[in-house]
Amino acid sequence: MTLTLEQLDRDEALLESIAILQGETRAGFLRKAALGSAGMLAALAAPARAADSVSDVDILNFGLRFERLQATFYTQADELGTIHKMPAAKQRWAEVLGAHERAHVRILKKILGDKAGKRPFFDFHGVTETDDRFTRTAVAMEDLTVALLAGVTPRVHDRRLTAALFGLLTTEARHAAWARNIVGTTPAGRSVDEARTLDSVRGTVSRTHFIAAAPRMTSRRSRPRFTG
Amino acid sequence: MRRAAFAVCALGALVAGVVAAAAGSRDGHRPGASTAQGALPAMVRPAFTPGPARPLAPAPDVSRYVTVRRAAMARRGPAAASAPVARVSTRTPEGTTNIVQVLGRREDADGRLWLRVALATLPNGRSGWLPRDALGGYASVDTHLVVDLSRLTATLWKRGRAVFRAPVGVGQPRWPTPRGRFYVRNRLTRYAGPTYGPIAFGTSARSEHLTDWPGGGFIGIHGTDEPGLIPGRISHGCVRMRNRDILALARLMPIGTPLAIG
Repeated sequence: MTLTLEQLDRDEALLESIAILQGETRAGFLRKAALGSAGMLAALAAPARAADSVSDVDILNFGLRFERLQATFYTQADELGTIHKMPAAKQRWAEVLGAHERAHVRILKKILGDKAGKRPFFDFHGVTETDDRFTRTAVAMEDLTVALLAGVTPRVHDRRLTAALFGLLTTEARHAAWARNIVGTTPAGRSVDEARTLDSVRGTVSRTHFIAAAPRMTSRRSRPRFTG
Repeated sequence: MRRAAFAVCALGALVAGVVAAAAGSRDGHRPGASTAQGALPAMVRPAFTPGPARPLAPAPDVSRYVTVRRAAMARRGPAAASAPVARVSTRTPEGTTNIVQVLGRREDADGRLWLRVALATLPNGRSGWLPRDALGGYASVDTHLVVDLSRLTATLWKRGRAVFRAPVGVGQPRWPTPRGRFYVRNRLTRYAGPTYGPIAFGTSARSEHLTDWPGGGFIGIHGTDEPGLIPGRISHGCVRMRNRDILALARLMPIGTPLAIG
């Protein structure tokens, strides 16, 4: 089954992040969103605006969203007992990566303060629940994160933020190499990692498929019909 | 011989350059200000550094629930051929996303995942197995609510500590509040009419006597327009609280909280 971008990101939080990175205002994004999926995809395919008009806050929020995705992925696998059933070396790998990702989320949230975006609702479609699915996804996710950070880090204006993001990028690259080693793949497959532009992030996003619509569990103005 | 002489000269020039740069630095030159003399640019100090990586702390009081992504038949065992127990829909009677409390997990012989979940059906307390792909993402809570039918109190626990306690009204002897283990599955606000107070929580518990009640006879936890009757055995099965208490509870109790009535 092929999942569309709208199915993968039904609360549009991720799409909104990308749209802002590409030069949309929030209002502009919502106008395009109202046009439907065709308008949305056209917006995502549009060339990125000049680098200097993208705010560092937008980029950090973009990073926070992906760090949250990763942290939740590892934490959930840990809490569900998937990691504890693994062989010791693999267990250590998954626990260390989970702890790192949670540390990344904490620091990005702290830096962003009240400008931090809302936490998305994650639906991992069962991949946190078996060793095999978890491991394969972890490898893909770590490679994905390296590509994303490599793409957005040069766009940060503040050199001190750039330096900090390089610290995250190199750590994520080690994660990716460790993950590849765990599954017996060459840790460094190519002589250079592919730089990803924001345009290409669209393709990356369509592969995440783990950000879902938040469940609607509060109803307003719906008269209770409980027994009373 | 010529090569050796050249190497010695080059080394000498390099040492002289480093010494000169060091002297410049001591003289108050900003390091990195002059690359012409061979000094490296100053390192950019990172704006932040992540704190220590901590392993997950044990969380013994956590319970989990999942959303129902597509309607599916709950079965007695984790297999498509197993006997059906009840159909589970994607929406509650109040129109909110349906959730089910997770009790267990298993993989069948074909590698398909199944979850054992608590069902909001009669008779109360039943569970069934649903295919994982019919269900959405996990969410977790670290609270649980205990309704004591003999003391007529409701107590909310969070990580082993009582964080809320209030007197309640429960079902009259002819319409008793059902005993058992359930969960909170939605919250209603801003509805018309004072009967249910300002907030009403829907639960997975159902009246075993008022089965033809509109909406299926689900048990709610809600406020009231008759606070003078609380505590008491006064309701059709719902758990009633004074309005200030239900408002306080609403600030502390997330959807998905397990509910024990006994």
